[in-house]
This record gives sequence, C-alpha cells and structure tokens, in this order.
Amino acid sequence: MSAVAHGPALATGTLLGMFSAYSGWVIGAALLLAVVSLVTAIRNRPMGALILAGLVLVELALVVQAVIALPKAGQVTEQATFVGYLIGTIVIPPAALWWGRAERTRWGPAVIAVAAFTAGVMTGRLLQLWDMP
Amino acid sequence: MTTGVNTGPGRVLVAVYGIFALAASARAGVQIAAKFSEAPLAYSLSAFAAVVYIVLTVALARGNERLAVAACLIELAGVLVVGTLSVVDSQAFPHATVWSGYGSGYLFIPLVLPVIGLLWLFGTRRRGQG
Repeated sequence: MSAVAHGPALATGTLLGMFSAYSGWVIGAALLLAVVSLVTAIRNRPMGALILAGLVLVELALVVQAVIALPKAGQVTEQATFVGYLIGTIVIPPAALWWGRAERTRWGPAVIAVAAFTAGVMTGRLLQLWDMP
Repeated sequence: MTTGVNTGPGRVLVAVYGIFALAASARAGVQIAAKFSEAPLAYSLSAFAAVVYIVLTVALARGNERLAVAACLIELAGVLVVGTLSVVDSQAFPHATVWSGYGSGYLFIPLVLPVIGLLWLFGTRRRGQG
C-alpha cells in the first residue's frame, strides 16, 4: 500500500514520509469500506449503520488529509491536478451518501462501494503526484 | 417504482458516470487552462468527452431515456474513434485523454461503460413494456 518510492529530497522527505504513512491508512480505510459495502450489496442488504459510520469516518480522514496537503500544493509539479484530486476526494463521499441513501436495496451500498473505491484510488494518485519531482 | 432507469442498478450507473464526469471535466479543465497549445485536438476531444459524461449523468439521473441512449452511442463512438486514433497516431495524442488507448488509463471502464449503459437502458425499456 505504501510502496511509493521516496525521492532523495531530505527536507521534504520526512514530510512526505508522514503524509504517505497517513494516506496509506486512508487508502486502507477507504478500500475496507468498499469491501464491506460490496459484501453488503452481494448479501442483498440495504445500507446500515456500519456503512454510514464507516463513510463518515473515511470522509473525516479525507478532510484531515486535504487540510494537511492543501498548503503544500505549491511544492507539487502538477499543482492544479493535485488540488483537483484533493477536492474530489472530499466531495465524492457526501455525494455518494446523498445518492445511495435514497435506495433502500442492495444498490445503495453498491453506490457507496464505488465511491469508497474511487476515494482510495484518488488518494493513491495524490501520493504519486506528491512524489513526482 | 423499480422499473425506472435511475433506480436499482441504474443508481450505480449514475454514480459511476458522475465520477467520470467529474474526472473528465477536471482533466480537460487542467489541460486546456495550462497547455492547450501543446495538443489542441486531443484537449478539445478531452473537453468533448467531459461534456458527454455530464450529459449522460444528468440524463440517467433524471430518467431521460432517449437522451441517455443518444449520449451512450456518442460515447461508444468516441471511445472507439479516439482509442483507435491514439494507437495509430500517437503523435496527435501526446497526453492522455479519458478515451486514449480505449480508456486503458481508467481500467478500460470508458470502453465497457457505454455497453453496460445501453444494455441497461434497453433492458428497462423492454421490462417496462412487457
């Protein structure tokens, strides 16, 4: 999960290390939520408190990540893309919750699974952008 | 109630299209704002793809079947044409668009999505009539 090759930069090295460690947990949490949601959908159950709580937790973690990373956007080569991904990660879970909650069938959690997977992948892309010289 | 195009599995389809609308718009926006002169054709197609995804998301979410079918066909044609062009003439597409390499940068989802969309749209239509 944190198989990101670290650059030789010393000053930003520790910061990147901290960021990638935290983001590694965020990716793990998002993918775990995606799996739980997918299993719920396969078992033909509507969305329950577990998925709701998980989604809120992942969203909070993503907001913290954005707050940490946003001021550092200046150090990244692909600035606009980096900021776009940060905004995307915090916008997608609430949108999915709003869209998925209205569906009281297995397809509600299926929507959440798609959103959680996307948030995880986008966090991975953030790490790659951060690491790019 | 469950026969609508925007409920049940259709809800997941809207979610996936919404994410692609977001991704394609953001990508096209960055490309056009930062380096449009580098590859005007590729970036214009990028913007066109974004518009198609936005139209599809809205049409599917609002249950506008006719518009959704038309947009799905345009999307399928787009991914096939741009995918082929990007393979044959890679010079014209130095930077990837959503549809380059048949959507290989996005797990080939852009290639599969319009097919699933059309199957879903025609499936609900048949169920609705029968």
